[in-house]
Amino acid sequence: MALEGGRARRRGQGELEGQVLGALREADGPVTAAWVQERLGGDLAYTTVVTILTRLLAKDVVSRERHGRSFLWTPTADVARLAALRMRRLLDGERDREAVLASFVTALPPGDEQVLRALLDIPGTDPGGTED
Amino acid sequence: MGVFVFLPLVLPLSAWPVARLAETRLHPRTATRLLTAVAVVMAVCSALCLALLMVVGTAQLPGNPLPDGWSDPQVRAAVPYDEVAGRAAIPALAVVAAACARTLWRHRRVTRGARRALAGVPGRTVAVLPDTVPYAYALPGGRGRIVVSTALLAGLAPAERRALFAHERAHLAARHHRHLLAAQLAARANPFLRPLRTAVVYAAERWADEDAARAVGDRRTVARAIGKAALLSPRAPAPTLAALAVTGPVPRRVAALLAPAPVARTFPSAFTSVGLAAWAAAAGALVSAMSSANSAVTLFLILHAATPL
Repeated sequence: MALEGGRARRRGQGELEGQVLGALREADGPVTAAWVQERLGGDLAYTTVVTILTRLLAKDVVSRERHGRSFLWTPTADVARLAALRMRRLLDGERDREAVLASFVTALPPGDEQVLRALLDIPGTDPGGTED
Repeated sequence: MGVFVFLPLVLPLSAWPVARLAETRLHPRTATRLLTAVAVVMAVCSALCLALLMVVGTAQLPGNPLPDGWSDPQVRAAVPYDEVAGRAAIPALAVVAAACARTLWRHRRVTRGARRALAGVPGRTVAVLPDTVPYAYALPGGRGRIVVSTALLAGLAPAERRALFAHERAHLAARHHRHLLAAQLAARANPFLRPLRTAVVYAAERWADEDAARAVGDRRTVARAIGKAALLSPRAPAPTLAALAVTGPVPRRVAALLAPAPVARTFPSAFTSVGLAAWAAAAGALVSAMSSANSAVTLFLILHAATPL
């Protein structure tokens, strides 16, 4: 799936966002959408690049400034931050995600907190949670 | 086939005692494998028996593909001709098939979505994501990948981070997601298998905990890592009835790690309570398999005899 490269393959939205952000981060300074399009090999339509840039702007991982008739784009976050946003959206959308992905962190019922703190000698941070 | 065709539908009850006892008395690796195997055998048998009941049930429906001899009085006398069960088996089987398909589809969607979300993130085996919510996941597929948020790493001491990574690596190395998926599908196939699924989830976590403890060389560090991670996470919204009655899985895991390491034995002796329960579950699975085989063979022979050749 992820192994078959090539442009012919239809790329997912998330992947394109990552590529556009990656290209922006390789630039020396603020660049235009046309520069990004060229950088990505030109198989993407100009409007697609602008759409993706606008989407990244809404996610607050790029910023733009007006320069004449067009915008200059600058990355404000890295690819990992973008991945984190996508991961969060995926996890928040999944009601019973523990059923699919084994998780290290599990939400703790209120009663368990005292038991856990007592077991590990971790003092509580709130007044009600101190050990006895 | 007689009563045998109904047995596999209720035999999962024989596995309940071992599901309860396994978490404290069996080595987590043994517990995970035993409980998964028992759950899968019982789920397959119960689905098979639903299918057999359905075959009998459809004999009534016009246009069914069964041979005409099927309605002969001798044949009817040989088959427990239970109209209600036969008719009920059809929607039941449809529900089971739909639930299993949905589970598989969701599993694929989440793992694919997660893999796509991580596309382009540096790091082959570990992806560290800047996020204010603490989380850590073992993402199966290929060589697998560990996803950790910076919020969780920031809350742990260096040794505890090593414990966290060792825990997730253990999940990936032992392919725990397969056990979890199998147990989940089994629980979908027969609701009586749900306690087994909960037990498999817990046992798999314990297994990873024990592997992490061995890798790190300090049980207390792993216990602290689990405890701190749980305390970092947002509280569960409201205590459910079950949560009020019994201590949750995290304190039990921590307590198990603070206790001495469990001894790995191949199969427990029948003279202890857990041994008795394990053998009962194994016997239940065996009887379940034999009952469904018996019913299937009987039905096949009857159908064969009823077919005019």
